Amino acid sequence: MENLEHELKVKIIETLDLSDLKPEDIDNEARLVGGDFGIDSIDVLELVIMVEQGYGVTIDSKEVGEKVFASVNALAEHIRANRAS
Amino acid sequence: MKVRIFVVGMGAVTPAGAGVPALLEALLSGGRHIRPLSLFPANSKGALPVGELPADVWADVVQRVEDGGIPRTHALALAAALEAVAGGPPPDAVVLGGTTGGMGLTEVLLKEGVSDLERYRLHGTGTVAEYVAFRLGCTGPALTVSTACSSGAVAVKLGMELIRSGRAHRVLVGGADCLCRLTYYGFSMLQLIDPDGTRPLDRNRNGMSVAEGAGMLLLEGAPCGEPVPDTALAEVLGAGLSCDAYHPSAPHPEGAGALSAMKRALAEAGVAPGDVSYVNLHGTGTRDNDAAEAKALVSLFGPGLPPVSSTKGGVGHSLAAAGAVEAVISVLALRHGVVPGNVGLTEPDPAFGLVPAGASFPAELSAVLSNSFGFGGNNAAVLFGPTERNGEDWERRTAGADARAAGAGASGQPSFEMGRLRVLAVACISGAGHTTETLSALAEGRSAAGVLPEETVTRDLPPRALRRMKRLPRLTLALADAVLKAAAHPVDGIYLGTGWGPLSETWEFLDKLFGSNLEFSSPTDFVGSVHNAVAGQVAIWHKATGPNITATGGDTSFEQALLAAQLTLTNGDTVACVLGADEAHEKLSPLLDESVATGLAEGTVLSDGGAGLVVALGQGGPGIGLRLLAPVADGDSDVERLVNAAGGAERVREFFGAILAGIPAARRTQGKSLLDRFLARTQFEGAVVDYRLQTGELASASAIASAWAVREVSAPGSSLAKGRGILLLGLGETLSVVEVLP
Repeated sequence: MENLEHELKVKIIETLDLSDLKPEDIDNEARLVGGDFGIDSIDVLELVIMVEQGYGVTIDSKEVGEKVFASVNALAEHIRANRAS
Repeated sequence: MKVRIFVVGMGAVTPAGAGVPALLEALLSGGRHIRPLSLFPANSKGALPVGELPADVWADVVQRVEDGGIPRTHALALAAALEAVAGGPPPDAVVLGGTTGGMGLTEVLLKEGVSDLERYRLHGTGTVAEYVAFRLGCTGPALTVSTACSSGAVAVKLGMELIRSGRAHRVLVGGADCLCRLTYYGFSMLQLIDPDGTRPLDRNRNGMSVAEGAGMLLLEGAPCGEPVPDTALAEVLGAGLSCDAYHPSAPHPEGAGALSAMKRALAEAGVAPGDVSYVNLHGTGTRDNDAAEAKALVSLFGPGLPPVSSTKGGVGHSLAAAGAVEAVISVLALRHGVVPGNVGLTEPDPAFGLVPAGASFPAELSAVLSNSFGFGGNNAAVLFGPTERNGEDWERRTAGADARAAGAGASGQPSFEMGRLRVLAVACISGAGHTTETLSALAEGRSAAGVLPEETVTRDLPPRALRRMKRLPRLTLALADAVLKAAAHPVDGIYLGTGWGPLSETWEFLDKLFGSNLEFSSPTDFVGSVHNAVAGQVAIWHKATGPNITATGGDTSFEQALLAAQLTLTNGDTVACVLGADEAHEKLSPLLDESVATGLAEGTVLSDGGAGLVVALGQGGPGIGLRLLAPVADGDSDVERLVNAAGGAERVREFFGAILAGIPAARRTQGKSLLDRFLARTQFEGAVVDYRLQTGELASASAIASAWAVREVSAPGSSLAKGRGILLLGLGETLSVVEVLP
């Protein structure tokens, strides 16, 4: 179960070019958007594309974006709940 | 001399039809011309609703322009321009807003891997204005404003100032954009397209409807006290520009920039908020824009808010054209005494504290304000009034024109009226390095060509802040950082000239889009691909909330930015940063820039970089000023124009120690011949430098040359300037004369 969380951290760093961060620098419960990582609304959309492309899960950033991208755990939870298995 | 500005002709192409009458009919009837995309393939999300021209309207456009070989945007622009000029004499200048230029064609060529360079000749954003000017027989400047969705309104402002400054009497202003994959999929990736069609200001609004179209206004000046022209449709009372300096794509949440633009327009016009009788909103239908704009309106007008509406629910959001189309709508509203309805509105958002006009209704209007805001936080507001308006307060209204006259040069000749800008600092980047290395290389006759490594370009910038930026924003931010540090002065206005814009972002966006069969691409790259994204970033970094103008016109983009600064810098206390920058992109640069391709074929290296100048109004040297910007005619008249613009042969010999000639590789033979004839005609005996042989081929080479000239002119022992000025000649497809004087 931890694999998805780690994988997401790697992909977040890669997608958003947060090259000065390592996966272990991101706490599973840490606030992603508007927190210490400097992630803003454009980054969220970038992550929406990453999730849709990588996991086939569509996210409407206006309706559920804030909840889904609250933390790595929340994002992983949303992907597990919605992806076609 | 104080001048009033009148609209004496109008043209429009919108999804409602070709021609202004069709647009008026749509406004009166409240028609909704939004339908699913059919112009090019949609992806698995389906064809989203857009403002696309129906086939019969497009056929009408093609018939009007009588040229089947041009890209769609060029055709839209020309059809509207022909209607505005209505067979009359050519305008003295053309100023158009554009974000995509020939992209509608280029993206298809790129997708198909076409390498025939000829097919890309009308790609440049600036080619639309140049083509329209050519077709109309205009021999004056053809300027291109690329400030995203406020471009059309910023063009109105520049046209006004060209007339007020005495540089032109009649100017065609407007904007044009066609639907293309870049913008449709870009806004789609940003989740900004409402799947149900745009519903501006509605509680349930969910985005915009991207559209295509063109709007054009023919402006004419009339000295105060003289009769209003018979053909006048409305008066342009004032226009205000501002920048949010807040975020690349999101508006300032309180609408601070929008409020500032509206206030500046009203102040310039000498009109109180209470005298405004209708506001045509930017009203895109996105959650954020409409909320921010509503806050700005409530803050400016309070309980005395006049009727307001967004007309984008009827004809969609035509991006760079929108500001011009809505300027036409504002004039129609004035003349026909109608407040257009806010089409698409079902339930006004109760959070706004304002209720837009639901359906169109008759009203006698006195002053109409038109709002246009864009990515990069670029805002513009334009105020229109009826022609029969009582003239008693135009003394106040033209106070801005007075300020400019006071800041102009002392000479009485018309072409000198604009005066020069005082240069406080310069910086440049080239293949040779930063400012010191570049200027040493140039002065010693060495090459400064090439592409400076990324880590050297950004050595003084914080890495984290650069993570979303590619080559052009990095080059430009490094230039702005260096020149503003050197000037040690807060900056108000940002003016950027770029021949080709952010090529890396554009390439990456299209590459990912086509690579995923239209399913995915990067929202960051789309936001970054907009030409003015770069100047928007500079504004954010340096908190520059004044005018923010990006000009794109091939090899004379920097000259256009300089002109924009000369036209809109009105307050003696503020300073502005004028930049010129272009990136070298391995794939796109040789395809799009003919001179890059020619240079590479001749064995030169890919080159990029640019320069930045911090400038202010007023006397004291060194000063820089643009004296000519005009299309080449390939005849003896070219030499005479250059000589006259420089003040005559005697002045050239007397005032200038050196000439820096910019001859783009694609026009080397013609440019060289023109230079030889200029030298023979003026019998100039000082140094002459063919500077592109040192800078390499890049559209912004003239920016680097300008920085070099300023440095030489201000150095006491310069062997180049010899205690005098330096004349810069642009000898490509557009002729330019820039002078730098001690």
